[in-house]
Amino acid sequence: MSPRVVALSSAIACIALVLAQDAAPTWLGFHTWQYAAALTLGAIAIGAYVNGARKGEDGNVGRRLVFAMAGALVIVAAGIASGLLGADTETVARAPGTVAPLPGVGAAAFFPVADAAGIAHGDARIGLRRRDAPALELGPGERRYVGGSALEVAPQVAAYVEARTSRGERLTITQPTNAAFLSPVLLFTQQVRIAGKLLPADTFATPALHRQIKAFYFAKGTGGPAAEAHGGSNKVAAVLFAVDDDNGRLEPGGIGFAPSGTAVDLGGVRLRATVGTYPALIVSTVPYPLALWIGGGLFFGGLVFASLSYRSTATPVYKLGVGA
Amino acid sequence: MPRNALGYVVVIVVIVVVFVTFKTYFGAAGGPGGAVAGGGPSMLAGAPAASYAIKTLDGASDSLARYRGRVVFVNLWASWCAPCRSETPALEKLYEENRGRGLVVLGIDQGESATAAAAFAKEMNLRYPILLDEEQQYGRAYAAIGLPTSLIIDRTGHILRGIDGELSLAQMRENIAPLFARPQ
Repeated sequence: MSPRVVALSSAIACIALVLAQDAAPTWLGFHTWQYAAALTLGAIAIGAYVNGARKGEDGNVGRRLVFAMAGALVIVAAGIASGLLGADTETVARAPGTVAPLPGVGAAAFFPVADAAGIAHGDARIGLRRRDAPALELGPGERRYVGGSALEVAPQVAAYVEARTSRGERLTITQPTNAAFLSPVLLFTQQVRIAGKLLPADTFATPALHRQIKAFYFAKGTGGPAAEAHGGSNKVAAVLFAVDDDNGRLEPGGIGFAPSGTAVDLGGVRLRATVGTYPALIVSTVPYPLALWIGGGLFFGGLVFASLSYRSTATPVYKLGVGA
Repeated sequence: MPRNALGYVVVIVVIVVVFVTFKTYFGAAGGPGGAVAGGGPSMLAGAPAASYAIKTLDGASDSLARYRGRVVFVNLWASWCAPCRSETPALEKLYEENRGRGLVVLGIDQGESATAAAAFAKEMNLRYPILLDEEQQYGRAYAAIGLPTSLIIDRTGHILRGIDGELSLAQMRENIAPLFARPQ
């Protein structure tokens, strides 16, 4: 294989690896040493060719290909910079009605207020306000690129809980262990293993009745016999509640399943959970777009420049062959 | 010579772009998002005050936005909250002292039924308006990390101060004083 083919193949492979960061920014492999090493090896192969080509070892075509290779090196540098120096992918999950500043993006994410119906529909959109740029709105599954970051909205399991007294009077919900103290929306940010199953879990309290309540999320069809035994159903998603007193002792009759949208009386509290999704913002580092544009321009411009040279040198050889 | 000049330009462009690219990631604080965790109501100073339509004790609709142009003292509370109970007489006194100057005091109950809030208002003989925020929207939007939480809103609808915890009458007076001292 000629050095030119090796260099071109390496350049194309490296560019593909770097552009993959834009295509799948959340993949953790971009932040590993193996990824950086692969790009570095490619860069060495390209650099070796450039060193020879500029001295004329690959003729006029080689000299012109140096421009394309310079473009490839810019793209490789952008890929290594974002992969090696850029932070790992981060999921920003916040309670409805709150704001998360994103200084690395130069923006603030506004998580919309959501009621029970909003959680059930799962169609809330996150607002993004940026310095000196128009505001953006991202719905579930949408992705936007802002500078060296990719922002993607992913729906996460959530439940809107209502607590009432046995007479039906509404109670304040608090989440003393979470950042959003007064949110009735559970985001199930913890994972707890119960009977071999890893379950999304959360806790909240109803201070008026001195109850602390643990909540475990069961997706549709995953409750098994336990769901049927505790008054639940496997046909809809459900929340398993465990109602404790202020000292952490389980209240009599304080454990049971609440199928989504159904009120249940447990440990002296009437609880209803509306299960659905609420968006979280996934922030990933991607290669700096200016570097990709300049690098891409140089690469393709260099290829065109070299191909012109290839034609101009190829034609006399062809004529010579015919004449002989 | 022109060929060499083009080569130099390319080399310089490559160096500059690579430098800027690396500097971008070195300069980024925290992660790509660098998301900052909530810091309670005090971090909201200077921000526009969020407003949501909620109910009064007699079932009418009301919201914070309706009081734009006046100084508003928002108090987030609940009947089960002992510090709220102990703070309420001072709040009522503040209202009586300053209503003539245009101060609006709004007691926004967090998550309870009208029955509980009305019983509390009657017991404490409250005259300032009580609103019912059953879905606790104000509590979330104002980053409450406990109850009571108080917010001083200026005449332009911006938060002057967000305060977590119980306030004495003297502290309440001190917090609203700047908004009555300077012309807006």
